[in-house]
Amino acid sequence: MEALAKADFLDKGERKAKPFVLYRPTAKTGLISWLTTVDHKRIGFLYGITALFFFIFGGLEALAIRIQLMKPNNTFLTSAQYSEMFTMHGTTMIFLVVMPLGAAFFNFIMPLQIGARDVAFPRLNAFSFWTFLVGAIIVNLGWFMKDGAPDAGWFGYAPLTTRTFAPTHAIDMWVMGLQLLGVASIAAALNFIVTIINLRAPGMTMMRLPVFTWMTLFTSFLIVLSFPAITIALVEIMMDRLFGTNFFEVSNGGMPILWQHLFWIFGHPEVYILILPAMGIISEILPTFSRKPLFGYPIVVFSGASIGFLGFGVWSHHMFTTGMGTTATAAFALMTMAIAVPTGVKIFNWIGTLWNGYISMRTPMMFAIGFLWMFMIGGLSGIMHSAAPADAQQHGSYFVVAHFHYVLIGGSLFALFAGIHYWFPLMFGRKVSEFWGKASFWLVFIGFNVTFFPMHFLGLRGMPRRTFTYDGNMGWAEGNLIATIGALILAVGVATYFVTITYTYFKGEKTSMDPWDGRTLEWMLPNPPPEYNFQVIPTVHARDGWWYAKQHKEEIAKEDAEHKKEDEAHGGIHMPHMSIWPLMASVGIFIGALGVAVIDPANTHDYPGFWGPKVGVTILGGAIMFVSVLLWSLEGADGYHIHLNDDGSIKPDDGHGSH
Amino acid sequence: MRLSKYSSTFSRIAGSSAAVALMGLLQGCLIDFGGPQSTLDPEGPIAKRQLDLFYVTCWVCLFIFIVVGAVLAYAMFKFKANTAEDEKKVGPEHAHGNPLVEIGLIGASVLALVIIAVPTLSGIYYSFDVPVENKADAYEVTATGYQWWFKFDYPSETAQTLDPTGKTVNAAFSVANELVIPAGRPVRVNLRTVDVIHSFWIPKLAGKVDMMPNRANHYWIEAEKPGYFWGQCAEFCGESHAVMRFRVIALGPKEFNDWVNAQMQPARKVAALADGAPAPKAHFADYRTFTRNEAGYTSAYDTDPLAAWRAMQVAPASGENPALINQGRKLFASKTCSSCHTIRGDGYIGVVGPELTHVGSRSTIAAGLLENNPDEIHRWIHAPNEVKPGNTMWMKGYVANEIKLTPEDEDALVNYLESLK
Repeated sequence: MEALAKADFLDKGERKAKPFVLYRPTAKTGLISWLTTVDHKRIGFLYGITALFFFIFGGLEALAIRIQLMKPNNTFLTSAQYSEMFTMHGTTMIFLVVMPLGAAFFNFIMPLQIGARDVAFPRLNAFSFWTFLVGAIIVNLGWFMKDGAPDAGWFGYAPLTTRTFAPTHAIDMWVMGLQLLGVASIAAALNFIVTIINLRAPGMTMMRLPVFTWMTLFTSFLIVLSFPAITIALVEIMMDRLFGTNFFEVSNGGMPILWQHLFWIFGHPEVYILILPAMGIISEILPTFSRKPLFGYPIVVFSGASIGFLGFGVWSHHMFTTGMGTTATAAFALMTMAIAVPTGVKIFNWIGTLWNGYISMRTPMMFAIGFLWMFMIGGLSGIMHSAAPADAQQHGSYFVVAHFHYVLIGGSLFALFAGIHYWFPLMFGRKVSEFWGKASFWLVFIGFNVTFFPMHFLGLRGMPRRTFTYDGNMGWAEGNLIATIGALILAVGVATYFVTITYTYFKGEKTSMDPWDGRTLEWMLPNPPPEYNFQVIPTVHARDGWWYAKQHKEEIAKEDAEHKKEDEAHGGIHMPHMSIWPLMASVGIFIGALGVAVIDPANTHDYPGFWGPKVGVTILGGAIMFVSVLLWSLEGADGYHIHLNDDGSIKPDDGHGSH
Repeated sequence: MRLSKYSSTFSRIAGSSAAVALMGLLQGCLIDFGGPQSTLDPEGPIAKRQLDLFYVTCWVCLFIFIVVGAVLAYAMFKFKANTAEDEKKVGPEHAHGNPLVEIGLIGASVLALVIIAVPTLSGIYYSFDVPVENKADAYEVTATGYQWWFKFDYPSETAQTLDPTGKTVNAAFSVANELVIPAGRPVRVNLRTVDVIHSFWIPKLAGKVDMMPNRANHYWIEAEKPGYFWGQCAEFCGESHAVMRFRVIALGPKEFNDWVNAQMQPARKVAALADGAPAPKAHFADYRTFTRNEAGYTSAYDTDPLAAWRAMQVAPASGENPALINQGRKLFASKTCSSCHTIRGDGYIGVVGPELTHVGSRSTIAAGLLENNPDEIHRWIHAPNEVKPGNTMWMKGYVANEIKLTPEDEDALVNYLESLK
């Protein structure tokens, strides 16, 4: 290994002359530096900013829905607009907000937690982000077109999505957009898996990994294993729509039930893709602010693995009403109950973590404990759904809407908000004001509960979801009015949160290094962390590596000095070069996707009618992607070395430039 | 220090306002469990069984929530760092877990789940099909979902119609949007669809089962006593999903038989008055106008819907206008209504839209959305797209065939449809 590393990375002499296109960009600031970046921290930041931008979008869609339902027989939206709103609200919040916010933390925090200088494949990481971005754009493009936004619900049940019932491009854009988001997610997930397996600092054994990193690993495996199912489903519906195949075309013998199975084999693990990162964040915050180690670390890790594993065996509980028959229904009901056990175990261990600690109620901790309460409610109403006959009443009603918002807002989003507050000092060197942080927590907490708690009762009293209007004689008017008022409070809370973090970013109180007295390796870094992350790759001696290091300063200092020497012997700190080609490959994919999804075929009657400008644009996009990937591979996986002064500043280039 | 003082005051204010908000919630929705579609107020054995199971899950979960919540709340307050010195203290370093506690808690969770699992399993088998011992007594109907209405076929009944020579011949027995069933008997419902996925839900009688394309689903329901029940499509099925509703009317044995006998007859003809047919009178200006999404029911009808339904079964003794009705009958063909709707005995045999032979005897029109009265019929045929956006009658009828109705036409059609008792 050692020899190989030296052979690859040591200076091999003179730089060979290269074609112009293979020279690597070197800008450290400005637009080009962002477009060509391969720094995991910058990419994480881009994920985060994009997700928060779409969060505003999805939130406005939710508000439009709540205003429409404020009173019976309201006319704020037409039914067509309403369908677009709830479809895009769901699609946006799941694929463009919660998943990328998770990815932002995976990118930014995970390499720091394992003591790595970047992810395993920095350019692939950039490609993941750019492809995610173009997928997000394509899904949302319909808002600006006459065809309108997708309107078949976030799980797009065929045959509503077939040409027969959805002749416009809206569904094409949804299909292509999701397909690209899947490509981005799988590429990113593979990257994280390889990173966690291979780039751990010396001494960072698997059972010493921070729980957030464990959850990153599980989530990545879930993504890699579950996204192929929806990829297949999306390819099939795309073939139906473009080439007249009959996977779901009912009049030709298609089987819509197939879509549901494929979708939920993806869709249920997806639920855990959304919640496991949240559980990871909580498992970091609770020990830090309780000032003691996580209670039952191995069990928390193992239960995360069981949740991921069992998560592949419960998909049909989304389909209890599709007439699966008694045996299948019974089996999936029991599996669903089984998954409650590892989930409950996590809650017990989190409470165990608080026990006997010194709990400091800072803003991140407020959100984390808010998570515990809200996730408990969402989890318990989930157990109620596992009772299939009772679920026959709850399925497709507002009871379900209440349940999954408790899990996704009270669960995932509370944890992600907690994570933003928790790692903000590390990312930006500034700290959110406790007063405004807590104010936003209470507004969000109250608004959230006032919005979604009444929905349990609306559902039990027979209100189906996805209905743009209801009559006043059903007894749903008060519940809906309360929910709408709650949504407005929630909106004020979220706005407060956004204003607070934006203000803090520019003007917030500066903090010292390690402001929370943290336990994991990321807190040993100055804030914001330098591009090379660690001056010296740390050696890990215990589960909470940084905590241990703080108590064994001499031992660690000695090791660090040795490692620094080794690093220098290898030619300094090796950094990956930046590259434009990941971005260009995504641009090619974007153009190709436009060809498939947006451009009109030459003749709409000539089914499949693919020829003409449509195929031209598609091929053009494909060609750009192909050339970009080719140049990407030709420019080589090389990098450069930097040498540090003792204070961590970079020594000027001594001629050992690029190789 | 100053900040933390503010924030603790703030937490206290926020906490008490949360409590107030929760009280408001309790008053707003916990007290009233009723409503025409409330699953908490069941009127059939399946819905009752499902509710019992719901309560089992509810109490088990509530118990867990209270116990775990109490421990969590205790931990939150007991171990809170109250001073700046507390925040610097370090908790016990070696509290890495306790196998006995962990295994005990896992065991307790499993036990709680077993309590839920047993009634779940029995409920799954119970609600799947009519119990064997009741099979002989079961009545069978077929419900078919269309975008956006329901058709109900009665395979065990036969209807009558007139052939072109005027001879009475047999025909399929089918009605739309109002399912009439015998009370006190299990009813097996075959669930079909002709287009997308719909879901058939009568909350007071049973949980929903989907109507899946290319799949023969079924379930069963039973109404314990005569009654009037609300139902609604429960799977998003396109633009007008929210207004795809239906009703179920359960009747005692004799009344059910009477209803079947009345429905099997061909369409009712209103005899011309003895002293010659009066000219159509122009009362069309009297029809009410409606705003989009306006409620389609009146409170008078709503207070006792079963009585209102019974009243619809009786033909009016007087006040009908045979000439106007006849004109409506002709318009029904000339405006192409008949290419989609069946009216047995009047020679109309379209099958795309709801069967209308006895539409005048139904309590609602437009898939359970609008109360059946002249104003609402006029509202529906005047501007169908305002009532049900994207509906087939509008898209493939009015728009595709460029159908224009004058106020006189609308008046004649309303009178004709009203006469079809």
